[in-house]
Amino acid sequence: MDRRRFLQLIAGGAAGTFLARNALSLSLPAEQSASGALLGVVQGTDPGAAAIKAVELLGGMKKFVKPGESVLIKPNISWDRRPEQAATTNPAVVKAVIGMVREAGAEEITVADNTCNNAQNSYRRSGIKETAEAAGARVPYVVENDFEEVNLKGEVLNKWKVYRPALKADRIINLPVAKHHGLSGVSLSMKNMMGLIGGRRNLLHQKLGESIVDLTAYFKPDLIILDAARILIANGPQGSTLDDVEDRNIIAASTDPVRIDAFGISLFGDREPFNREYVSRYLKIAESRGLGSYDYRAKGFKKVKLG
Amino acid sequence: MAKTRRIFQILFLILFLFLFMANEFEGISDSSLPLTLFLDLDPLLSISVILTSHSFQLKFLYGLITIALALLLGRVFCSWICPLGALNNFASYLKRSFSRTGNRLDRHKGLLSLKYYILFFILVAAILGWNGAGLIDPIPLLVRSLTIGTDPAFYNLVSSSLNSLISLEIPLVSGLSSSFLATLKGNILPHAYPLFRQSLIVGGIFLAILILNLVIPRFWCRYLCPLGALLGLAGSRQSLARIRINEKKCIECGMCNRVCQGEANPYPAIAERECIKCFNCHEVCPSGAIEIYNGKTSMAREDVDIERRWVLASAAGAVAAAAAVGAGVEIGRAHPKRIRPPGALPEPEFLEKCVKCGECMKVCLTNGLQPSLHQAGFAGMWTPILVPSIGYCEYQCNLCSQVCPTGAIRKLSMEEKQSIRIGLAWFDKDRCIPHATGINCGVCEEHCPAPGKAIKFEEEEVTGKYGFDYILKKPYIDQSLCIGCGICENKCVITDRPAVRVTSSNESRGDNQVFL
Repeated sequence: MDRRRFLQLIAGGAAGTFLARNALSLSLPAEQSASGALLGVVQGTDPGAAAIKAVELLGGMKKFVKPGESVLIKPNISWDRRPEQAATTNPAVVKAVIGMVREAGAEEITVADNTCNNAQNSYRRSGIKETAEAAGARVPYVVENDFEEVNLKGEVLNKWKVYRPALKADRIINLPVAKHHGLSGVSLSMKNMMGLIGGRRNLLHQKLGESIVDLTAYFKPDLIILDAARILIANGPQGSTLDDVEDRNIIAASTDPVRIDAFGISLFGDREPFNREYVSRYLKIAESRGLGSYDYRAKGFKKVKLG
Repeated sequence: MAKTRRIFQILFLILFLFLFMANEFEGISDSSLPLTLFLDLDPLLSISVILTSHSFQLKFLYGLITIALALLLGRVFCSWICPLGALNNFASYLKRSFSRTGNRLDRHKGLLSLKYYILFFILVAAILGWNGAGLIDPIPLLVRSLTIGTDPAFYNLVSSSLNSLISLEIPLVSGLSSSFLATLKGNILPHAYPLFRQSLIVGGIFLAILILNLVIPRFWCRYLCPLGALLGLAGSRQSLARIRINEKKCIECGMCNRVCQGEANPYPAIAERECIKCFNCHEVCPSGAIEIYNGKTSMAREDVDIERRWVLASAAGAVAAAAAVGAGVEIGRAHPKRIRPPGALPEPEFLEKCVKCGECMKVCLTNGLQPSLHQAGFAGMWTPILVPSIGYCEYQCNLCSQVCPTGAIRKLSMEEKQSIRIGLAWFDKDRCIPHATGINCGVCEEHCPAPGKAIKFEEEEVTGKYGFDYILKKPYIDQSLCIGCGICENKCVITDRPAVRVTSSNESRGDNQVFL
């Protein structure tokens, strides 16, 4: 960091970052339609390569991460499960994303999640701590001191404890894994935002759809990469036996949480116990609040197959 | 020699504390460290477990090392190795009793013999089936006191003072304190705030033992410690490192008695069993009259009497106590909250082997293992029970079974651990949100780790109740899949009295509670 950047940081501080981010998120849709897809879907057996291709379809990582920026990558590390159990984001995807973010010139890369099971176990067994650290990211455990109470100004969520790095980072990249969820039907990108808050998260279940829309509206992730290389089709969100896991070999990328979640739901088909009425209700709420478009096929949909 | 002894004392104390703190696992790996080294070396524990459970394990042979040491060198364990001995020793410095004026020249004979009666009491009770050694044996006592008593207090002290520094929000100070705290956690401090029931009682007893040093130095070691009594009985006559006074040099100043840690008082005749080989007398003797010699040459000795009538009285007391304790153990029905960790032996055998050291509680990832008070009767006081409202049993964890020093919790593979039922969850439908209010919740189902989910939903179509149509998912238990881990109770949104609660019913370790 040179002196100029240092002074910028101090002088500009939070206000500058905040303004810049808001301005950017407003201007993104226009930019995208000009130079890339709104939703990039890549089919391929190598999840890392598929992730890179999916981001390319949107116009490349340089569009989302500028040199010198700090980036928070938020995979799903909620559960003490092995990668092949598909309860956590595929470490190969995490690795590929860290690589892209570094290449784009990010200065500080953090990978973190507020886990449900014991954090040490979940970070390790998911393979994410080891992989992400080897790829050059910081992978800190989320501890009680890391939270700051802010007003989320949502429809159901107001004062809530938020993971401080999520407030401070220049960019947030959301890296959910597509999986079944007993209550909401599926857990996709919006559900994954729950890992950025603390407090009594369990309360959110009572208005789960509305809550995760509130969270998405607040955090406005700059980029979402959905891991559907393997998906958990039953007994989610943590699964257990490999019978509940199906290979889909798909990675999708978008900046639109509604679009990518609508696509995510389509991966699960009409299979019971997915209740598409229920699942889609929160997407409609999200769409009505201007977070994105439910009709993911309408425009800007690009699908590519890797060999 | 006394200087060398102090170095050993400090090194062994550091080793003990290191192993104690290392008994917290980060992540998946098994530890290659001998975490329970000091417990394993404790012969009194092994003897007691052998007597109560009529079973033997190879690792009990480690206790022979300590016995052999006592045979060769006397009670060196007490003043060179024992961590509680070291703490008592250091606490005694507060009174400066081992300076020139502290000790009396004569002995508290009645008090000195008390520990032998305590030892007999424990051994007789053990023969009759009550394993009470762990309550008063110094090693489990210290591990338990540190785990339940001081660890939470220490954590609270350090983290709250650093947190108040952090909250000052002075740029450099906050940052440094924050990263310092992060470094401490997982190294010196546990990862999360340890919370233990009865920490005041267990910690208070420990504090009392330390404070007693201000009344009489090493009060505990001299008068109460049954392990010291055992090692004294084992080693007094054969010791290769005995103290004697060269009468030609002795100027009868009494300094040796004033600095004597065990109240063995070399002048005029030593109580050999009480000598803990601190070698203070050798260090302070102004005329060089104290000699350390090897051999069996007889010299003036004056051991405290172990009186037959008091031995008989303690044995009789043990019979009465064991009978009274035993009467409370199995009255046919288990306490609903007596949820044992997976791998715990069936209750009678468990109580025979558990020495209440608290290693399992220390290592428990979620802090869910807590010392019982009355839930397992008096014989089970301070034995581990799972309290799901504090912490649940982590599905992919068998650490408690790895660290148990006596096999009261047997070693389990992960697969076996995951198949053991430690209890069963029950819904309180009058409190459960979907059942009682018609609002969806399902947090318990989300967290249920059992393959195929032991908590399932009964779905009900609701029209227009809250202004829209939805499917209400009402949870219920599939008792054939529930392993009683308690994560549902722990994560239940209702925190005062959760709407799903685990009791010991259907636990798989014995036949008493198993369902058809």
